[in-house]
Amino acid sequence: MNLILAALALALVQVGFLGWMIAGRAAILRDGKEILLKVEPVDPRDLLRGDYVFLSYEISRIPVKLIGDIPAGKQTNDEGQITVRLQKGADGYWRAVSAWLAQPPPSTSADDVDVVGHIAAGWTLSGDTTLAPDYGIERFYLPEGEGLAIERDMRVRPFSIRAAVSIDGVAQVKALMDGDTMLFEEPLY
Amino acid sequence: MASYSSKVKRDIARWVESGLIEPRTADALARDIEANERRSLSFGSILAMMAALLLGAAILIFVAANWEAIPRLVRVAALFAVIIGGYVGGAFAKMRGHPAVGEALWIVAAAAFGGSIALIGQMYHFSGDESVAMLTWCTGTALAALVLRSGPLTVVAVGIADAWLMTKLLGFGLFRSMDFPHLFLVLAAALFAVSYWTRSQAARHVIVQSVIFYVVTLALDHNLLGMAILLALVSAAVFAVGVFVPVAADNIIKLGGQLPLHGLIGFLTGTALVQFELADSNGFAPAAVAALAGITGAIILAGRQSRGLRWVAYLGFAFELCLIYAVTMETMLGTAGFFLLAAVVLGALAFAIIRIERRMNHPVARETVS
Repeated sequence: MNLILAALALALVQVGFLGWMIAGRAAILRDGKEILLKVEPVDPRDLLRGDYVFLSYEISRIPVKLIGDIPAGKQTNDEGQITVRLQKGADGYWRAVSAWLAQPPPSTSADDVDVVGHIAAGWTLSGDTTLAPDYGIERFYLPEGEGLAIERDMRVRPFSIRAAVSIDGVAQVKALMDGDTMLFEEPLY
Repeated sequence: MASYSSKVKRDIARWVESGLIEPRTADALARDIEANERRSLSFGSILAMMAALLLGAAILIFVAANWEAIPRLVRVAALFAVIIGGYVGGAFAKMRGHPAVGEALWIVAAAAFGGSIALIGQMYHFSGDESVAMLTWCTGTALAALVLRSGPLTVVAVGIADAWLMTKLLGFGLFRSMDFPHLFLVLAAALFAVSYWTRSQAARHVIVQSVIFYVVTLALDHNLLGMAILLALVSAAVFAVGVFVPVAADNIIKLGGQLPLHGLIGFLTGTALVQFELADSNGFAPAAVAALAGITGAIILAGRQSRGLRWVAYLGFAFELCLIYAVTMETMLGTAGFFLLAAVVLGALAFAIIRIERRMNHPVARETVS
């Protein structure tokens, strides 16, 4: 009997953990601020998770000049996070206006959105170079067999991603757009 | 198999009821039966494990197909049902005296946990880190092994840790920082500790071999020579411990007396790496001599106890001959001379193996007869 109770408790802990993961993501989709990001495609397919397209954005390259708090005398960065402040452009796409390696100063405009990315160590922190952060939104999973067609279209037409960003800067993909047409929109669950 | 253990367990329950033995003794007896039963796996339980692994793979690939005909919330619910049903159903089967079926169901549940992590990653388009997903899966499976005190789940957790190491090494995260996955040592140590509680000798064997593999990749990645020499020396020390204080060592490590075998494998791997690195230098000859001396020493010191160790030693010896040939081959004449030498050596080796096998098998045979 004890074994069955232990097994039940274990199952509930694991299912509870998975439910917590889902609830966290659904909360970002529901409550996050919405942004539109321009996409540049790279390359599909992942063994375990079926088809996806690898997405690269304009904000995947951040000019070092935008970074407001480069530590004095530092040639390259350490691995860590970068906070990028986005503003909506006239064409509807959101673009980076400034970035910080440490804590960002409070935003002056209600229209700003701060998104937190991760950068690997060793990027040069001087001159006209750029950094390549990732934001955890670099993949879009597609039903089996549809990855290649969409990847092909991406090379000829502008695609974009609607994403939600939580208060603490976590980004979550909401929809994949082909021009103005919506290809896939994610339900909360 | 199952019928014997369930019969004894029924008897034990009766003995407890009639006050013949204490409940604690009963528990110890039941555990002993289970532990010994696992050692003599029947054909049926092996098939059950294989079926479980196949079912687990089916779940993972089904998730990967991202089939839209079934709404994803239904897919999530189905996986959750498999998790709960697998763990609880496995516990039922185990208590009814079908340990193999129980363990198999637990493996299916653990696979469903991994499949759920992948499905959630797919639902919300997680990018990057398979690494985090696999570590989460490994932790969940290790937790299951702990709670259910399951040997097979411990082995599965070790397998997931190994798979994580491989993905890290093969550089799935091409755009991530390429830090060497030293975390594997922590995983290995933690799972080794878990394996004591779950009484899984198999898991410990796999962990020791995995650690040797990890050191090999570390040697290839970093300072090859120093790391390889260290591997050979540490392995030789482990071998010595296993040979000279076998009982004390096995009381701690609990590898079924196979510690010298692991030591020999590590030593051979280390010396092979050293020889690869020194192939074009004067250091090759001493390294080759050390390897050959090690093999001979291993047979003399521990050959009698373990047939497996002897064959690993022979394999190592044959490998050494090939390596020495490949390195020393220069001219046709030299090659011809080497072949002549090799023929003589191989003949001598065959003679020696036959003699050693006969000598080492006979006393054992006589002991078992008497």
